[in-house]
Amino acid sequence: MSQLIIQDLKVSIGDKPVVKGLSLTVNQGEVHAIMGPNGTGKSTLAKAIAGHPDYAITGGDVLLDGQSVLAMQPDERARAGLFLAFQYPSEVPGVTIANFVRAALQARLGESADLDATSYYKKLYEKMDLLKIDRKFTSRAVNEGFSGGEKKRCEILQMAMLEPKFSMMDETDSGLDIDALRIVADGVNKLRTGQLGIVLITHYQRLLNYIVPDFVHVMYDGRIVRSGNKDLAVELEARGYAWVKKELAAASA
Amino acid sequence: MSQITDSDTLTTAAVEETAASSVAGIDQTAGDFKYDVKYDFDAGSGLSERTVRYISDVKKEDQWIRDFRLNALRTFLARPLPTHWATRDLENINFDKIRYYLSQGTKPKRTWDEVPADIKMTFERLGVPEQERRFLAGVEAQFDSEAAYSNIKDAVSKQGVIFLNSSEALRTHPEIFRRWFGKVIPTGDNKFSALNSAVFSGGSFIYVPPGVKVLHPLQAYFRINAENFGQFERTLIIVDEGSELTYMEGCTAPKFSTSTLHSAVVELVALKGAKIQYITVQNWAPNVYNLVTKRGLAHEEAEIKWIDCNIGSRLTMKYPGVVLKGRKSRGEVISIALANDGQHQDTGAKMVHAADETTSSIVAKSISVGQGRSTYRGLVHIPRHLKGCKNNTECDALLINTNSRTDTYPAITVRGQDHAVQHEASVSKVSDEMIFYMQSRGLTEAQAMSLAVNGFVNDLVSQFPMEYSVELKRLIDLEMEGSVG
Amino acid sequence: MSALPALQTPSVNGVFTSDAFASHLAAVGHLPAWWLDLKRAAWDRFGALPLPGRTDELWRFSTVAGIKLNRCTLAETPDAGFPIPPAVFPCAATLAFLNNRALAGEALSPELGKQGVIFCPIEEAVVHHAELFQSHFMAQAVNLGSEKFAALNAALTRGGAFLYVPRGVEIETPFVVHHVAAGDGAAVFPHTLAILEDTAKATLVENFLSTDPAGAGFAAGVNDLFAGPGAQLTYVGVQNWSRDTLAFQLNSTVVQRDARVLSLNVHLGGRQARHESHSRLQGPGAFSEMLALTVAQGEQEFDQRTLQSHQAPNTGSNLLYKNALLDRARTIFSGLIIVDPEAQKTDAYQSNRNLLLSDEAESNALPGLEIQANDVRCTHGATSGHVDAEQMFYLESRGIAPSAARELLVFGFFEEVLAKLENEALRSVLRESIKANLKT
Repeated sequence: MSQLIIQDLKVSIGDKPVVKGLSLTVNQGEVHAIMGPNGTGKSTLAKAIAGHPDYAITGGDVLLDGQSVLAMQPDERARAGLFLAFQYPSEVPGVTIANFVRAALQARLGESADLDATSYYKKLYEKMDLLKIDRKFTSRAVNEGFSGGEKKRCEILQMAMLEPKFSMMDETDSGLDIDALRIVADGVNKLRTGQLGIVLITHYQRLLNYIVPDFVHVMYDGRIVRSGNKDLAVELEARGYAWVKKELAAASA
Repeated sequence: MSQITDSDTLTTAAVEETAASSVAGIDQTAGDFKYDVKYDFDAGSGLSERTVRYISDVKKEDQWIRDFRLNALRTFLARPLPTHWATRDLENINFDKIRYYLSQGTKPKRTWDEVPADIKMTFERLGVPEQERRFLAGVEAQFDSEAAYSNIKDAVSKQGVIFLNSSEALRTHPEIFRRWFGKVIPTGDNKFSALNSAVFSGGSFIYVPPGVKVLHPLQAYFRINAENFGQFERTLIIVDEGSELTYMEGCTAPKFSTSTLHSAVVELVALKGAKIQYITVQNWAPNVYNLVTKRGLAHEEAEIKWIDCNIGSRLTMKYPGVVLKGRKSRGEVISIALANDGQHQDTGAKMVHAADETTSSIVAKSISVGQGRSTYRGLVHIPRHLKGCKNNTECDALLINTNSRTDTYPAITVRGQDHAVQHEASVSKVSDEMIFYMQSRGLTEAQAMSLAVNGFVNDLVSQFPMEYSVELKRLIDLEMEGSVG
Repeated sequence: MSALPALQTPSVNGVFTSDAFASHLAAVGHLPAWWLDLKRAAWDRFGALPLPGRTDELWRFSTVAGIKLNRCTLAETPDAGFPIPPAVFPCAATLAFLNNRALAGEALSPELGKQGVIFCPIEEAVVHHAELFQSHFMAQAVNLGSEKFAALNAALTRGGAFLYVPRGVEIETPFVVHHVAAGDGAAVFPHTLAILEDTAKATLVENFLSTDPAGAGFAAGVNDLFAGPGAQLTYVGVQNWSRDTLAFQLNSTVVQRDARVLSLNVHLGGRQARHESHSRLQGPGAFSEMLALTVAQGEQEFDQRTLQSHQAPNTGSNLLYKNALLDRARTIFSGLIIVDPEAQKTDAYQSNRNLLLSDEAESNALPGLEIQANDVRCTHGATSGHVDAEQMFYLESRGIAPSAARELLVFGFFEEVLAKLENEALRSVLRESIKANLKT
């Protein structure tokens, strides 16, 4: 069984510590939601695990199936089975979605084998249908001129095609109206086949009505300060993040 | 025929084996090989009246063309190098060391079986005969100074289309040849057009009669095989009223330690309502000076489109142009240039408007890798007393490394109040965020860079015939190797 | 003195003979020796440099045959009766020069004097502020083609202003300089040097005009602006020489760390007017806004050459040159952005817009880029077009006569540039100048 272990992870941006010793274990098939107020280090956590060069890991470790990924390049981590669904996906002008995903899959095969075009397109169309994405999209350049909802669906499509072991979904709900949110959530739920582990990063509980998590963690000031099941998210929504802050203050007093 | 020097000792290297499985002319590693060839005719090194007369003698030319050549030689010798605007790297060409004519004979063969084995091997390895079978209406294959093979499919020749090697056409169709030859690009247009006019050999001659649409492309393939050699093909294409033609050319040469010169002149004439599309995909070895003059003359409602893709060479200077001579004629240049370490792609376009309601469009994209330098030079000219002319120019440069370089030097003259001319240029790099995004999908940094570069030129490449666009992508991947990290 | 080099041929340098220079030196003989030495050296350079030639790339499209140095006179004949143009907006101080000689101006207030501000004719500066003046005088090379005329200016200049604003001093009202050419054939050599120290702020306005709007004339002006760290300088030049003047104006701007310079040149006069402007962005955060408006009419030729040199990282420049062309007029815009290899994160823009209003008018655009750093944003654009027929119809349908409608559209075309000036009084003066010029 696959396992993603985050051990006492510390991350800085420049000289500023942002993630300050965070631990979390995600097993294959589990969905963990990380909630927290803005600026608490949620996105930093996701990008650092994906290997973004602007984020320096100053302590701790990230283990994928027992192997540390910290010495790996971002693409090596991706090929090892990590996936990041970006909050703000980058545009790649002139490169169509079909060619892009194909290149990503080919990179997993290496130079010795060629991707079979027929079965590739068959699978691509299948996943697009699953995510209710118009087939015309395949010939559009990645994220170029996409609406917010289109970008997020394009992220989920890539996730579906690349079949990672673990996916970190960074604010996948941000900027989506309720219809778009439902489509994206449906897509994610269809990928919950027990194989994929998901870390769902969100500010709002709303998304968790559609993607029901197995575990909910509250992140504050670079650490996980509370963990529980889906009821924690409901409680958090009802009482607000101020409640967490107050509790924390009381605890440390 | 005796040779005028005794320098026929060709130091031909042993064949260097590289895996080659691509469309002709595109993959540079595929072009980097050479077979031993014995030349029957060799003008020796250096350029003089004697050299020019030797070429005329070999070709048994008429007096008028002999005079034309000698006159051109005088122009060439009198002209200084254009270094007041162009790179001083031109000064490194040693015109005395270059060999101006090398061939095994002047008559191209009509079947591959007749082509001498040593030359046939070269073209087979470049995939030319295979392509001919697959998707071409006719092929001319030039090896150093002369065409080794020239053939046109029966169906096309029955339509009255003439497709010959230029030297041959000069003998067999002097009336059409002489009428248009040197009219679009006069001898004295520039120093290198004068050089070509003095020593030209080979190249294509095409005439398409009125009302004929040639469905499949005609292709020429230019191969330099000998060291210190100068290739000077001369192409003349006349497409008569209402006719259409697509012509493609590919070029390669093996890598030598000394420099090689390629200096062609290409003249196109599109008569009333005719359409010509001229596609070049060249991939010269990094020792080649590629100094080419290309221009088309568009009559009323005619259309000339140059698709020019420049990869490789040490220095390329090439600005395909269209003289818009007839009312409502259209000119278009699509240019892609990739300059790698030690290379300078000095390319662009010229649009000379000479009639009312003429339109022209230039889209140029360049990529500079490592210390490569790409330069765009453009000219748009709208003189007085014209009405309703339009030009649109876009130049985009992509710089891959911190030490890459790009220059843009357009010149736009507009006279009168009834025209619309617009020029835009931009310079960009591949953003770090984009690269990270692609890496996070499992692509290596180099693969991500390659993909980004292909994306940059994608809108232009999609206008190429399929066979070329696929190979062009492969070639870009190849050129991008080692550009990051 | 006797070691003056022989000129190449007397005809090339026209009225600028060794004798003429000798008498100029005699006239300024009372000035410090270093200044005279500097003039001699400049004179040597002038003599050694050729006139621009037809194949000179820096003069591409220029009518170089029109550059003749024999249609003017060096006789300095100040017309004492000429009135200084009245100030039409509040000024910090005014200087005026008539045929190279200083007239009385509106003096600097004692208050500004106390803060260390200097604003005086250059011939006073070479005596009283020698060190400061000398350290910046023509310290930046003129390198866009008119080296010969820059040397001529240095050799013969007498008229011009020296402005010095010390560290931290901010002055909102403009300093104004008038350069007046009087009489047929007057040759003038305006020279301006402005130095703003750290975080200083000032506005400098220069007017170039002729007493006889139709008389022949010759002008070779040089202008050096220097903005120290964090300084803010606004410069406005209004060129309104006579319609038969051969004019050269060579401007250099140095912009240091975090400094901002806005320069706006309005080109109205002259027969053949060459303007060169070179901005050097030398420190991170430096920004230069280069603006120009030209009304080209009759047989006028305006030849504008610009260079945006990005020599440090994180620098910005924005160039916008707009030309309205009438009659048989010609314009040439040749601009270049150079980004040095170390100038990463440069943000540079260059735009030339030509509005052609007649069938015989001709615009030439040579917008260039030379980029040697990859993490930059550099774009340029050039357009040549005409008045929009739909817009014309719209205005006419409201009862506006075609000529008035056209004028309105020309002003609309210019307004984008004028709007960049903060000083409203200055803006309206410029509008009036342009309007008056369009009517003549």
